[in-house]
Amino acid sequence: MPVPSLTDPPSTSTPAAAPAKPQGQPSQKSMTKAERRELQEKQRAAKAALKTQQPQGGGGGGGQPKAPKNPAAPPKKSQSAETSKQGASAGKDAITTADDTTGGNAVSRSLRIFSHFGLPKQVSHVKGDIHPAIIRLGLLFSEFKICGANARCIATLTAFKSVIQDYTTPPNHTLSRHLMTHLSPQITHLVSARPMSVTMGNAIRQLKLEISGSDIDMVEQDAKDALCLKIDNYIRDRIIYADEVIQDLAGSKIKDGDVILTFARSSVVEKILLNAYGKGKKFSIIVVDSPPLLEGKALLNKLTSGPNPIPCTYALLPALPSLITEVTTVLLGAHALFSNGAVYSRAGTALVAMMAKGHGVPVMVCCETYKFSEGVMVDGFGKNESAPMKVTKSTGRPEAVSPSQTLEILNPLYDLTPATFITAVVTEVGLIPPSSISSIPLALGKTIL
Amino acid sequence: MPPDRNAPYNRTVEVLASKLRRRQIVGSRTTALETLLVLRQVVSKARFSNFEQLVEIIKTVGHRLVEAQPKEHSVGNTVRKVLHHIREEYQTATRGTSIATPKAQFSIAKFVLQGQPRKQITSALKSENRGTLKENDPDDPDSFARSLKPVLMEALQDVLDELETVYDNVSKNAKDHIHSDEIILTLGMSKTVEAFLKTAAHNRNYTVIVAETAPSYEGRQMAQSLSSAGVSTFLVPDSSIFALMSRVNKVILGAHAILANGGMFAITGSQIAATAARAHSTPVVVCAGQFKLTPLWNLYHEYAALDFGNPDEVLGFEEGQLVDKVDVVNPYWDYVRPELIDAYITNDGDHPPSSIYRLLKEAYDDEDTEL
Repeated sequence: MPVPSLTDPPSTSTPAAAPAKPQGQPSQKSMTKAERRELQEKQRAAKAALKTQQPQGGGGGGGQPKAPKNPAAPPKKSQSAETSKQGASAGKDAITTADDTTGGNAVSRSLRIFSHFGLPKQVSHVKGDIHPAIIRLGLLFSEFKICGANARCIATLTAFKSVIQDYTTPPNHTLSRHLMTHLSPQITHLVSARPMSVTMGNAIRQLKLEISGSDIDMVEQDAKDALCLKIDNYIRDRIIYADEVIQDLAGSKIKDGDVILTFARSSVVEKILLNAYGKGKKFSIIVVDSPPLLEGKALLNKLTSGPNPIPCTYALLPALPSLITEVTTVLLGAHALFSNGAVYSRAGTALVAMMAKGHGVPVMVCCETYKFSEGVMVDGFGKNESAPMKVTKSTGRPEAVSPSQTLEILNPLYDLTPATFITAVVTEVGLIPPSSISSIPLALGKTIL
Repeated sequence: MPPDRNAPYNRTVEVLASKLRRRQIVGSRTTALETLLVLRQVVSKARFSNFEQLVEIIKTVGHRLVEAQPKEHSVGNTVRKVLHHIREEYQTATRGTSIATPKAQFSIAKFVLQGQPRKQITSALKSENRGTLKENDPDDPDSFARSLKPVLMEALQDVLDELETVYDNVSKNAKDHIHSDEIILTLGMSKTVEAFLKTAAHNRNYTVIVAETAPSYEGRQMAQSLSSAGVSTFLVPDSSIFALMSRVNKVILGAHAILANGGMFAITGSQIAATAARAHSTPVVVCAGQFKLTPLWNLYHEYAALDFGNPDEVLGFEEGQLVDKVDVVNPYWDYVRPELIDAYITNDGDHPPSSIYRLLKEAYDDEDTEL
């Protein structure tokens, strides 16, 4: 017996397809041929209607990408003999559709506003020739096992080193031309695991420059070694040494008796604090933290785990107004710095800087120059990333709620601190006011950036 | 007067006082309601032969309750409100016997001094003569109480009615404040705000962003409740308040107590939300019942906390190695300055923070400020 719907591809989304299903239809076997044909016609018509609908709804499609993946309500099911069960499910579908039409306006509107937050997809199965080191790194990124601008940049460059070492130029190609085409799928894979950080972007741009500039006549192994050396130098000069200089510069601003406030966890700030305390300065630290990642706990562990623990106070972000009065300096880390002086950093940083500014507490942002981005950013909303549910630390008595038709859970990872809230940016080239950020890349010789 | 330990109402007062002390009763409206019920019993059971005695009894009871939990301001507010109403009723009842007051002449000075023109009009209307009340009757010491009590119970019922309808009255103009397609930010779990937003949802199609409000995470409850009422809701961590503020049309907050200068105590996080709103020039609106008006000035908690929550909520014992090395701070309330607030929506109309002092003058008598 030809079952009509089985020959058709499965319908795309559940709610839209639902109304087509006649409710409480009798099972196939009890139907006459004419009835069956009628049913088939109906389903065709519904499908056609769906196809015309879809382009219109495209604007609100941001939140729907997972819908098509669900093989929900496959037509197969509608043909099953279990009439009662099918009737019930069809009825349920009809209800959700009704909800869609009544509340649809608001929901789709919100979806559109937040659509660019795009949840990181599951690491799709590996396409093409991806190096195992990159696959491993992609998993670490998507699980947030490697997190933080510096850590991600160093990990990426290190992985690229092994990719380069394992690379052999195919015949009739030159390394300087072909290596980049070999690297780009690797980069694409990393980006699919988690959106690329500004630091990674800057480093990769630099790497591309080095590759295209490598000598054609060089022996392949020598060229690869030269590239790896360049990468090592980049990590050393722009990150490791830069951090050491920043430690000294920022450390010189910490005096005995100071109360330093910091937010979440920045690798540079952590080093500054440990270094300054190791030099015998007597100060205390307030670590302010916030969900979704609660990274401050890791910083707290580092600060207190040594033989000589630093006196620390720990509080969550809402408690900030009660603590800010006793603070002498605020030290913050950054994800990226834009040429208008705005600091793109972990969500909550802007609130901390704002409160500090309101109370006349100096705000120092510690940031290596390789984190500078040439662009301008005026709003932290436009470019953001949502933390996946599995990495958000769910705490508190009322258990974490689950999203529903009208409830969505959003965990933005970043926000943008306007330059007006920042007193100084501590870089390896000195302490500079945020208004002068744009001149730094030029002063460093733009080719490096 | 020492508290009368043998008074018939003593037990109920003591029960409430200990419940307040142990924080078995929390929340401004609940405590206000409980206080009112106790005061009603006190008035109905108390023995007094003149008005001063009655006021003294109520003040003593009020003092005991406020001492039990000075951080629940609505307890004291309810006592003040009751005293105010009782005085009003007494004056109405005795107007017939007292020397005829000179005909009220309009004077700016008086208007400012008394600050209660509205209340006077209503009381003037009610002043049908209820017959003479005889205070301190040596023959029948209870006669005064007997004749006054029905009126007093009516007055208390008025206060109770006001408390019971407070959410409805606060939210009756909700649709004038929330417009279609707006994005509202709120935090915590304020019953008043919840009722307000749900009422607005009857007429408007809008979106609410709820901040989780760590460490109590009451925002989760709020988000769940709003979304189940069909409001399109987003739940976000507190850290993203600043990032999202540029898309928010209005911030709606709840209050714990509204202070005489127009500032307020509210759940922690309110201060950062209000400051972030100010940085983006987003209006901040506070929904609160009038029983939260407190005749106090915040002189001692300019920024710091008033009350502290359980540190375990911030850094639990699962972080065992940290617990003994780190100080953990978990303040419960924030003080929000009047400059950060654009309007109060109360059950008695909408007011700017600058006119809160006038509402206070209307609602309470000056002599009750210190209980």
